[in-house]
Amino acid sequence: MKQSKASSLHDVIIVGGGPAALTAAIYTTREDIDTLIIERGVVGGLAAVTDVIDNYPGFPDGISGLVLAENLRKQAERFGAKIELGEVLSIHNEGKHKRLETTSGTMHARAILIATGSDYKKVGVPGEQEYFARGVHYCATCDGAFYRDKRLVVVGGGNSAVQETIFLTRYASHIDLLVRSTIKASDVLQDELQPFIKKGKVTVHVGTTTDEIVGKDQFVVKVIGTHTKTGKRHEFAVDGVFIFVGLKPNTQFLKGSSIKLDKIGFIKTDSSLQTAMTGVFAAGDVRSGATMQIASAVGEGATAALKIREYLEGHTHPLQN
Amino acid sequence: MVKNITIFTTNTCGYCQMVKKYLVAKGVNYEEVNLDEHPHRQAEALELSGAMTVPVTVVTKQDESKEVIVGYNLARLAPAVS
Repeated sequence: MKQSKASSLHDVIIVGGGPAALTAAIYTTREDIDTLIIERGVVGGLAAVTDVIDNYPGFPDGISGLVLAENLRKQAERFGAKIELGEVLSIHNEGKHKRLETTSGTMHARAILIATGSDYKKVGVPGEQEYFARGVHYCATCDGAFYRDKRLVVVGGGNSAVQETIFLTRYASHIDLLVRSTIKASDVLQDELQPFIKKGKVTVHVGTTTDEIVGKDQFVVKVIGTHTKTGKRHEFAVDGVFIFVGLKPNTQFLKGSSIKLDKIGFIKTDSSLQTAMTGVFAAGDVRSGATMQIASAVGEGATAALKIREYLEGHTHPLQN
Repeated sequence: MVKNITIFTTNTCGYCQMVKKYLVAKGVNYEEVNLDEHPHRQAEALELSGAMTVPVTVVTKQDESKEVIVGYNLARLAPAVS
């Protein structure tokens, strides 16, 4: 289908470079659909900075997030996907073609897939912004090595918080895990955490809010929390804090466009993963209703690619007629 | 003109891989200091960057001035190594 008349006109431009994006690119390029991926950060997305992924099918012993991301990239590039580093600033509907304003200039595409994923949310407490990268962190695989034999707090109770707590035990002397309500991580992860709790390496504080991160001489020295039932204030003397309290969608660049977002900012799509702007699709963690799983993102990437092919060919699947 | 480049990394850091790939793609040589293998050099990375994070890329120019880039920041990395 490679019909580009200008170098900036592509059949498909995929915004984002995580598992959904790379999977879609594998599918579109195998169909000989000219595909460009524009990624602003790390190819592989959040998956690439996750230590071990245990719930992605086909890897009975788990797989390193970095290795999975690298394999997806290689597979997409093997079929001809082009990956450019840059940032999409806005998307505009010009009828048959869509216009993208990017940090590398203006580009055009017949169809667009938005797969920009999500980033870790902030807690929004005093000290969090002030001590960023000097005791406050959001990437254990990047920054954990700075905490050999140090005390840490991890904030959160979901899969990421527990997974990264387990990862950080290889460095830290002790970790206090502060969970605002109850632990929502999978049973498997909770079971994996148990030996560290028994050894006294990890202490879980259920029903404990994180209220303030306190520093001295430019570095974090303690975290203040409150037990939600008793109202009792707790102080944790620590060297660092790692925060994993959920995800926020990377959709800031869509503000003001005709692409509809839900109240949190995730992209609304129809059953064919098409957004309110015809010819623009969304898949993965950025989509409203996404389950925030790599396996789901991969599935949505494949689905979106097939729907984009139908769109480019100007018809829908016979089963949908 | 760039005299040399040093990158502080860890084994598990995805952003470090991206910085290294970018430099390789540009044909730029660099020295890597892996802080998992050389933990005693953490203090050096911290002193240079003021941050407890990797990657830290130190671009030393011919006049011995240094530009320190924290994280995977193409907006700063690209002009610094060009």
